[in-house]
Amino acid sequence: MVTKNSADVVIVGTGVVGVVIAEQLLDAGHSVLMIEAGPRVTRAEVVENWRNAPLGVKGDTSVAYPSRPWAPHPMGNEKPEDAYLQLSGPDSYAQTFIRYAGGSTWHWAGTSWRLTPEDMRLKSLYGVGRDWAIDYDTLESYYVRTENKLGICGPSDRGLQWPQTGARSAPYPMPALPFSPGETRFTEIAKSLGYNNIPVAQARNSGMPYDGRPACCGNNNCVPVCPVAAKYDAETALHRLEKKGATLLVDSVVYKVETNAQNKIEAVSYYDQHKESHRITGKLFVLACNGLENPKLLLMSKDDRNPNGVANSSDQVGRNMMDHPQLTLTVTTKEPFWSGVGPVVNSGIMETSQGSFRSEHAGAYFRYNNFARNRFVTFAALKKGLVGKALDEEIRRMTACTADVVAAHEVLPDPNNRLTLSDKTDWLGLPKPHIHYDVGEYTRRSAEVYSLPIGKRIAEAMGATDVKISPKFNQSKHIMGGTIMGNEASNSVVDVDCRSHDHENLFIPGGGAMASTACGNSTITMVALAIKSADAIVEQMRGA
Amino acid sequence: MNMKMIKSFAFAAPLVFAALVPAMASAQEFSKELVEKGRYLATASDCVACHTNHADGKPMAGGLPMSSPVGTIMSTNITPSKEFGIGNYTQAQFSDAVRKGVRGDGSNLYPAMPYVSYSVMTDEDIHALYAYFMQGVDPVDEKAPETKLPFPMNIRASIMGWNLLFRPNEVHVDDPSQSAEWNRGKYLAEGAGHCSTCHTPRGAFMQEQKSLNLTGGQVGAWYAPDITNDKVHGIGSWSQQDFVTYLKTGKLENKAQAAGSMAEAISYSFQHLTDGDLNAIVTYVRSVPSANASPASGATRFDNGKAGNDMAAFRGKEYAESLAGNHAGAQIFTANCASCHGYNAQGTRDGYYPSLFHNAATAGDNSINVISAILNGVDRHTDAGHVFMPPFGDQTNAVVQLNNVEVASLSNYLLAQYGNEKLKVTPEDVQVIREGGPKSNIVQLARIGMGAGAAVVVFLLAGLIWYRARRKTLPVPSV
Repeated sequence: MVTKNSADVVIVGTGVVGVVIAEQLLDAGHSVLMIEAGPRVTRAEVVENWRNAPLGVKGDTSVAYPSRPWAPHPMGNEKPEDAYLQLSGPDSYAQTFIRYAGGSTWHWAGTSWRLTPEDMRLKSLYGVGRDWAIDYDTLESYYVRTENKLGICGPSDRGLQWPQTGARSAPYPMPALPFSPGETRFTEIAKSLGYNNIPVAQARNSGMPYDGRPACCGNNNCVPVCPVAAKYDAETALHRLEKKGATLLVDSVVYKVETNAQNKIEAVSYYDQHKESHRITGKLFVLACNGLENPKLLLMSKDDRNPNGVANSSDQVGRNMMDHPQLTLTVTTKEPFWSGVGPVVNSGIMETSQGSFRSEHAGAYFRYNNFARNRFVTFAALKKGLVGKALDEEIRRMTACTADVVAAHEVLPDPNNRLTLSDKTDWLGLPKPHIHYDVGEYTRRSAEVYSLPIGKRIAEAMGATDVKISPKFNQSKHIMGGTIMGNEASNSVVDVDCRSHDHENLFIPGGGAMASTACGNSTITMVALAIKSADAIVEQMRGA
Repeated sequence: MNMKMIKSFAFAAPLVFAALVPAMASAQEFSKELVEKGRYLATASDCVACHTNHADGKPMAGGLPMSSPVGTIMSTNITPSKEFGIGNYTQAQFSDAVRKGVRGDGSNLYPAMPYVSYSVMTDEDIHALYAYFMQGVDPVDEKAPETKLPFPMNIRASIMGWNLLFRPNEVHVDDPSQSAEWNRGKYLAEGAGHCSTCHTPRGAFMQEQKSLNLTGGQVGAWYAPDITNDKVHGIGSWSQQDFVTYLKTGKLENKAQAAGSMAEAISYSFQHLTDGDLNAIVTYVRSVPSANASPASGATRFDNGKAGNDMAAFRGKEYAESLAGNHAGAQIFTANCASCHGYNAQGTRDGYYPSLFHNAATAGDNSINVISAILNGVDRHTDAGHVFMPPFGDQTNAVVQLNNVEVASLSNYLLAQYGNEKLKVTPEDVQVIREGGPKSNIVQLARIGMGAGAAVVVFLLAGLIWYRARRKTLPVPSV
């Protein structure tokens, strides 16, 4: 029986992890109540928010998703001292994410690289980082289910699939998308240097409708929003979940996870947008609020039985915060490349993320960004003082003859890269998250001796007349590690099913559980872990 | 065992054997050629469109809910399953079901089954269809859900009177003054193709109004437009090839595209017919005049409207403010439609996304298909690929769930900017389409009549009297 204040399973968060679990539980006959901190909006509104934004603020994709006072999320125009994310350390951890119903897949690119078997055994193979508590073969069937659930397109040619070292038990449900002119040229250039630029596996309907959603029509607007829902995002599932019986509470900010005498989770409490508190009970609880909000909530929920915070007997909650630190080479070329036909990320060089060098430094994944360039080059053209036809021509030239090549690196889990509760509070009076972050020598060394030298060779082969390299690591917004998975309760937060070691009816699935980052985007692995959790929850509820 | 018994056993054995193994024997009963001919006729008749639940059902196993003006009708299992389908039907019973609307158990089918059209089919073709359904269709031993219509429509006997009045019972006979192609076309269009089922308007008793043949009719949430040769309201401006192209692909660039049940007809039926048969159908349909022909001037229902947009009126304002303002329709268009159809509604160069001007959906004689396309989207499978426009109604896969006011605003913008500017849509109009189209008064009328103790009796009597009068002048067709 689901009511507004109780259900079999209570899921905090309505992003991709939450909705995938919710649907499986609903299909298994359980009542599900989902709690979302932020608002529920229509795709139409998000699309128009973006189109109405002046060019000058479009560098921040969050402009399409203004945060609500009670559910702040990072916005590009914040001053550091007022920002939602309080930061310290040598590197920035200024991630973006969205506290809206549907979560941050609203503005993901859809990139869906699987981990390799090696990515999950860094300690055994290279003596660095951590090994996963599960292996690739265990994860493989969940990857297949993820690819079918989200509708991930990819190449059917085994030689173009990733990973090459791990098995693949089922084909992608849709074929890969064709390359843009710039990507085609980039692929040839990479080949001349001995690198394979392969089609990205992506959660996008390629040339056909899938799961009741239309085919990609090439708006090149995947980030910040697919205007037609051809790219999977979790918003596309919400109405279906409601029709299957889920209750969805929005504008409801969970601030406490409550334990009982058996140290099981008894309830969660939330504030509504009028700052009134409500309590929700259930048999089983899933925290799916993302890799920053989950540890924040657990730390905020400390009680006498759990003085370090809920699920934190290991003191690992909020530690090991990871991302894919990236460096961008903005290349100006003699010959036109033309990016922008098709999706914003459509190919990549993945093989450079693998190798025995990983005992010494991080690997890197190179991608040719396929964003249409006109938005990025217009300001440079204006700065040249051009007007009229000359301005148009310069914008056109630079749109064709510039390109971003991005090197995305792995980082190692480091307990000192840590999320704690800031003294500063948000609109509701809840502590803001504070993150101390250092990408580490392992990653810095990669940039020095490995990734940037490769990037520069690529730029040179592209016929670069000018190369600008980002002065410091940027964030990929792939939040990982804060509720890390392991077999030992003493040094990890969740078990192989993303169940809390400390509380048998609390699951914390998603990127926080990842024990290594590798170089590819994290969502597909987060969802694979979520589906594994859902299987375990269904099994556990059967015994309940 | 005496001699008599042995003799009688010897005599009876083959009969017993024959009675016990018809299922086994039937596998060899009909020739492959005959079954294939039947398969083609079943395709031409589009049986699969209605008799399959396309969401999760098996072919011909029924279970598709069909919205009708008198309520939702569930299609039946017509696989050769002996328990749940038509596996026990004799050919005579099959013929009666297809051509007379009478089930094997003697009760009447609802005229949602187009037996009124199929009644023109020849004995030879019925035989081929029977061979196909007995031998070419996999039996599905699953019960299709039953139809539950409101009183008095749940009394199937009431259909008897209707049949007496409105079922023609005439097998097609060639008109010697016309070409063989035309005659073949007429046979297919009026029979298997059952064009008139949707394209001819219905009268007060839901009967096809033959005097208004093919001048357009409401089909659930959609409008099947005028396909007479009238140049303004019909398709008189189309060439033979235009029309064939449309039937093969469901699309005629800058003119029209098939949605709703026409998309199904293209997907499951027309595209699979031979070029010869398509040309025959087109030849015949292009010869059908309109009963209310218009003066041959003015824009056709395919070439209204022009490219353009209203963005300057709202760009830069808050979305909610624009929705509340005078340009709500243009704002809704930009937010929901322009990403595929183009900011000027110009469509794409390859025509996959049609322009919204020069388009029968917006430029037609009524607004039903504008509303329905928005609410229900488009879903069509052809050799050219799967054409899919997502819905904007209350479906689980609606990209945005537009409300009635929003759909009305959007429709009015589309009509004014890109289509027939004389048309206006109200939120109430949208609600009617959302509910699956206008409901017939027939239920209410019949109830009122029953209340007066008369309707069905009068109905039946009227039918009988009329039918008897008719028998005097027309030979009763033998079927």
